[in-house]
Amino acid sequence: MLSFLRRQGTLKLMLSSNSGRIGVALFLSMVVISLVVVAVYPLDFGKTKWNNPAYWADNPQSVPPSWWRFFTGKDHIVHHIHSAGSPSAVDPRDTGPLLRYNFSFDASSGAIPSFTSISLSGVSYYSTPPVVTLRLRRPDGRLVTVLQEVVRGPQGDGVTPQTRFDDTPYRVFLSGNDSVQVNLADFLFQEFSLQAQPSQLQGSVESVLFGTPQPGGGFQPLRGGYTAIVDLQMRDARDRANFVDSVKFVRGGTVYGLMGTDATGRDLFTGLLFGFPVALTIGISTALISSAIGAALGIISGYRGGKTDIIIQRTADVFTNIPLLPILIFLIFVLGAKLWLVVLILALFGWPGLTITTRSMVLQIRSGQLVEATQALGASQWRIMFRHVIFQIAPFLLAQVIFFTPAAILAEAGLSFLGLGDPSIPTWGQILESGFRTGAVFVGYWWWVLPPGILIAVTALCFVLLTMALEPIVSPRLRTGQ
Amino acid sequence: MSLGRTLAIRGLTLLGVLVVVLLLVIITLGATGFSERILTATMSEQLRGEREVLARTIRDPLQLENALQARRDELVRFYGLDKPWYQNLPNVTRRVVTLDLGQARTLRTSDGSSKVSSLIMERLPRTILLVTTASVITSVIGLWVGVKLATRAGTGWDKAVSYLSAVSFALPAWWAGILFILIFAFHLDVFPEGGLYGTPPPEGGLARFGDLLYHALLPILTLTVVSLGGWIYAVRTMVLNTSQEFFVTVARAKGLSEGQVMRRYILRAAAPPIVTSLILGLTGSLGGAILTETVFNWPGMGRLYFDAIQSADETVIVALTFVFTLMYVAARFVLEVLYVILDPRVRYA
Repeated sequence: MLSFLRRQGTLKLMLSSNSGRIGVALFLSMVVISLVVVAVYPLDFGKTKWNNPAYWADNPQSVPPSWWRFFTGKDHIVHHIHSAGSPSAVDPRDTGPLLRYNFSFDASSGAIPSFTSISLSGVSYYSTPPVVTLRLRRPDGRLVTVLQEVVRGPQGDGVTPQTRFDDTPYRVFLSGNDSVQVNLADFLFQEFSLQAQPSQLQGSVESVLFGTPQPGGGFQPLRGGYTAIVDLQMRDARDRANFVDSVKFVRGGTVYGLMGTDATGRDLFTGLLFGFPVALTIGISTALISSAIGAALGIISGYRGGKTDIIIQRTADVFTNIPLLPILIFLIFVLGAKLWLVVLILALFGWPGLTITTRSMVLQIRSGQLVEATQALGASQWRIMFRHVIFQIAPFLLAQVIFFTPAAILAEAGLSFLGLGDPSIPTWGQILESGFRTGAVFVGYWWWVLPPGILIAVTALCFVLLTMALEPIVSPRLRTGQ
Repeated sequence: MSLGRTLAIRGLTLLGVLVVVLLLVIITLGATGFSERILTATMSEQLRGEREVLARTIRDPLQLENALQARRDELVRFYGLDKPWYQNLPNVTRRVVTLDLGQARTLRTSDGSSKVSSLIMERLPRTILLVTTASVITSVIGLWVGVKLATRAGTGWDKAVSYLSAVSFALPAWWAGILFILIFAFHLDVFPEGGLYGTPPPEGGLARFGDLLYHALLPILTLTVVSLGGWIYAVRTMVLNTSQEFFVTVARAKGLSEGQVMRRYILRAAAPPIVTSLILGLTGSLGGAILTETVFNWPGMGRLYFDAIQSADETVIVALTFVFTLMYVAARFVLEVLYVILDPRVRYA
C-alpha cells in the first residue's frame, strides 16, 4: 500500500499544502516524543510512580510551573531539595557518633516556601534508633531549634545493626508537626517577646522560620544566607558514620518544574509526557483494527454481492446506528476499566461506516476492466479482492485510518473524564479528570486542566489536518477547487 | 421502492438497533455475573431489615432463622437467582422494553422519588433543551457559513475557517466546557459556573425561565462550538463537490443568477448528503451532552448517567443506556423521514 502511495506522489502532494505540512510536522514530533518516553519510562510507570503518593511526597502540592513566576510579578520560590549522602562532620563520641549535615542556601526571593520537610532514608542502628535535631541559622544570626525527636522504630537486638526506612524514607513535615510549633512559639517569645499559642502557628511554621515578625502582625520574608543543620545522634558506640544512607531537607517551592504539580504533588510534566505514546497507541491501533474490519467486510460485501452483501450491509446499518459513547460507558463500567478493552470496543463498533463506503467503491471497481482482466487470467476471488481491488482503494483507506484516529483518542479521553480510565495507565483524560474532580477548575489551577486538554486537542488536530491534506488525493476533483 | 416501504425498512433497521443494544446490555450484565452480584446485595440488605422487624415478634432464635430462611428462598425465587441468568432474559427484557425500570439505589428526583422512570422523566426535558437548541443553532450557522465558504473556495476566508473547523472538530466538548468555565465564570465572572438555577432560584415563572436560560447559555455555547466546525466543513465540501457537476455549469450557462443556481441546483442536490452528516452529527451531540452536562453540573440525562456511574447504580445505568439508544433512534428516524422528503431518488427509485 505504501509503495503505491509513493508512486502516486502522495507524500509530495500532502506536503504541498499548509495543513499537510503542519500535520506531518506535528505527527513526527509526537512520534519522536513517544519513542523517547517508551525508551526512558518504566513500563509500570502508572502503578509504581504515578499512582504511588509516596513517590511524590517531596513535591509541593498544586503549584504552578516554574516559568509562571516571570508573568505574575509576585515573588516565587523554585522547589529545592537539599540532599546529602554523607555527613559534613562526624563527632565520634563514646555513646555513639554525632553525624552533622549542613545545608546552606541563599533565600534571595521575597517569598516563603510552601512547606518544609526533612527526611532520612536507610537508617541503621545496633540498639537504639538515633535522635534527629534540626536547627536553622538565619541571616539575622539567630539560631532556631526547630525539631528534636527520636527516629521512630523498634529497638535493635544489639547484635546486628538493623535497617529501617529503606523504601519509604522517615519524613517529617515541619508545618504539621506539634513539637515544631511548640519550639517556634518558644523561639518567638525569647527572640521577639511575642506570645503565641503553639496551635496558632499551625500553617505558618515556614513564615516564622523564614521571616521576621512585623509590628502590625504577619511576617516579612527575611532574605539572605541560611544554614539548615541536621544532627543525627547515634546511640551505640558501634554505630558508624555510614549508617545513614541519605538526609534530605526540602524547601517546597511555590512553583515547580515545567508544568507544575497537582494536589498530590505529582509532576504534571512527566504525566503529560507519558500520555503521548498512550494516546498514539489508542488512536492508531483502534483506527487500524476498525479500518481493517471495515475494509475487508466492505470489499467482500461489494465483490461477492447477493446474500453476503445483504447480511453485511444490514448488520452495518444496525451497528452504525448504535450511539457509541453510552454503550462504551456501559461496557467499560461492567467489564472493568482496561485500556485494551476500550480499544477493542471502539474498534468493534467503528467499522460500519467504512464498510458502507468501501462497498460502493468496490461496486464500481468490480465492473472495471482491471477486474475483468484478472478474472480472465484465472485469479481466485480472494486474490482479486485482497490483491487487486484493495490496491485501488488504498489511498481512501489510508485517509480513513487517519480520520478514525482522533475519534478514538477523543473517546478514550471522554471516558477517562467520566472516571472510567484505566488506573494503571495514566492518560491526558485522567489528569484532566482528577483536576476536575478535585475542583481545580473552580480555584483556577489552569496548569492542571489546560495542558492535558490542549494536548488532546492538538493530537486530534494533527490527524484532522492530515485528513484535510489527503482530501484532494482521495477525491481528486477538489484539487482544482483549492 | 415505494415511500412506505423505504421508511418501513429504515424503521426495521432502527428497531434492530434497539434489539442489539438491549441484548448487548442484558447479556453483558448476565454473563459477567454483574446483575447477580447486585441482586444478591439488594436481597441481603432487604433481609437485614426484615430480620430486625421479625426479631421483635419472634423470640425463639431457631424459629427466627427458619422464618428468615423461608423469606430468603422466596426472595431468591422473586429475583430469579435460583435460575441461570439466561433463563431470566425474557423477564428482564420485558421489563426494560415496557420501561418498567425499577428503583434507583441512591439517586432521587427533586421530590424524593427513586423510581427510575420518574428520574428519567425529570431529567429528559433538560437534556432535550440543551441538545436541540445547540443542534438548531449549529445547523443554521453551519449551513449559512458553509455555503458562503463554498462560493469563496480557495480564498483566505475559506482557509481560515477551514482551519478553525479543524480546531473545533478536535476540541473535546468537555474540555471546551472547562475552558469556558475558566474564562467566563472564573475569570470574567459573567456566567454561572454550572447548575440549573441560581441559589436561591428566583421566584415567578418568567424570572425562573430567564435564570434557566442564563444557566443554559454556556453549555449550549460549548455544544455549538465543538460541533459547528465539522458541520461547516462538511457543508462546504459537499456544496463544493456538487458545484463542480456538469448540470451546475449548464445552469450557469443558461444565465441564471448565482443565487438561483445555489438554491435550485446546488443545495437541492447537496441536501441529502448534508442531512446524512447532520444525522451523524447527532451521535456527537448526544455523547457530547453526557460530558458537557457533567462539566456544567447540568442535571439532565448525561449528568444522571455520570452520577449513576459514580454511585454504581446498576438499574439506572441499564435504563439510561437503553433510553439514550431510544432517543438516538427516534431522532434518527425523524431525520430519515426528512431524508426521504429531500431525496427524490429514494422516493421514485
